Formats: sequence, C-alpha cells, structure tokens
Amino acid sequence: MTDASERDVARSELRWGLITIAAVSVIMLAVIYAGVVMHINPPSNVERIDPKGLHLSAEFTEANLGTKVEANGQITARIVTTQFAFVPRCVILPADTPVTLRLSRPDVIHGILVSGTNVNTMVVPGFVSQVHTTFRKTGDLLMPCHEFCGLGHSEMLATVRVVPKSEFHPGPDGRIACAAK
Amino acid sequence: MPQDDDGLSQDQVERALHETPGGAFALAGLTVGLLIVAWVAIYLFVFLPRGPVG
Repeated sequence: MTDASERDVARSELRWGLITIAAVSVIMLAVIYAGVVMHINPPSNVERIDPKGLHLSAEFTEANLGTKVEANGQITARIVTTQFAFVPRCVILPADTPVTLRLSRPDVIHGILVSGTNVNTMVVPGFVSQVHTTFRKTGDLLMPCHEFCGLGHSEMLATVRVVPKSEFHPGPDGRIACAAK
Repeated sequence: MPQDDDGLSQDQVERALHETPGGAFALAGLTVGLLIVAWVAIYLFVFLPRGPVG
C-alpha cells in the first residue's frame, strides 16, 4: 500500500469516527434533555423494609393500601405485590397531577409497568419501590407483573384507573378506591 | 508496470483501494442513519409522550 493510500484510509477512518461521535453525542444530549428538562429518569429509590413483617408494618397494612391523599396534598398509591396478585387489584389516580406509586412485596421478585406510560420498575423483596409520575391520559391502564414470579405470573394483573381531576373525589380520610364498573 | 500473481497491476490495486471506501461508507451510512432515525422516532413519538417518571 502506498503512502497516498495509507493517507486515504486514515482520512476515511477519521471521518467515520467523527460521524459516530456525532451520532452518540446526539443520543446522549437527547437522554440528558429527557432527564433534566422532561424529568424522565429511572426510578432510583433505595428504601429498605422487612419483608417478613410487611403486612404488620404501618405503611403496608391492608387498611393502608390503595390511593390516599396525604396531609401535604401528595397523592400516593400503595400496592403490595404477591404471588400472584396485586393488592389492591385496582388503584384510582387523577390525570395531570404528580402522583407517587409505592410498592413492596413479601415473597419473590416482581416487576411492574403501566401500559402506555414510562412507569416501569422492579419490586424486590426487602425494598420499597417508588415511582413518581404524572399520567397524561385518562382510562384504565393495565399494570401487569413483568418479572417471571412463578406459575401464576401470567395471571398477575392490576389496573391503574386514571380519571380527570374533576372526577377525583377522595373521602374525608383522604382515601379513594376504584368503584365497581 | 509489473504484474502480480493475481493479474492486477499496481495501478488497478491503488484505484480499487481508492474507490472501495465510497461504497463502504454509503452502506454504513445508510444502515447507521436508519438506526439513528428509528431511535429518534421512538424517542420523540413514544418515549417523550409517555410522560415524566422518576
């Protein structure tokens, strides 16, 4: 190979290198924009809880599950995931309002996603999974378990019922449950 | 011009080396370009509309 050919190859590789750097830069900038400006980030809550006493703890006792408007106005839905059901099977939340989902489980690893949204998290024994989001569309959104958790995994479904803010009327204790349809 | 065993002159080899990267870049540019376009389309029309999460 002559020196001229060597220079041609080196120039070609340099150009292609610049193209790939530009492509990766565009993607990185888009990811940073989504995180910083649009607040789309991986849920990163690290909070421990004793899985053996989950149903006895103050937060995840049966009476405290479901949607509740806290004293500070924050809307939180607490859900326990077990083999092979969500408790409760349906939570109701308002659209266009910041809400928090808090999940824990007494048994094995589960995972949830809410269809049509970016809500997606693992639910790991010994930890509380927490996701902040704002639902933009109303309707019944499917929330399946997306981590194989046993023979009944495929039956493990829940519903997130997103209603317009005008139809979200919690009771005097701040709680609200899905009405039977 | 001396001939190699493959019957190509040095000039022909040099010309091939000079022209080949053009086709390789066209193919690589097309495939990588399509990949980037698909990524951006999903980012703009699926990922961002699905709303904030964290």
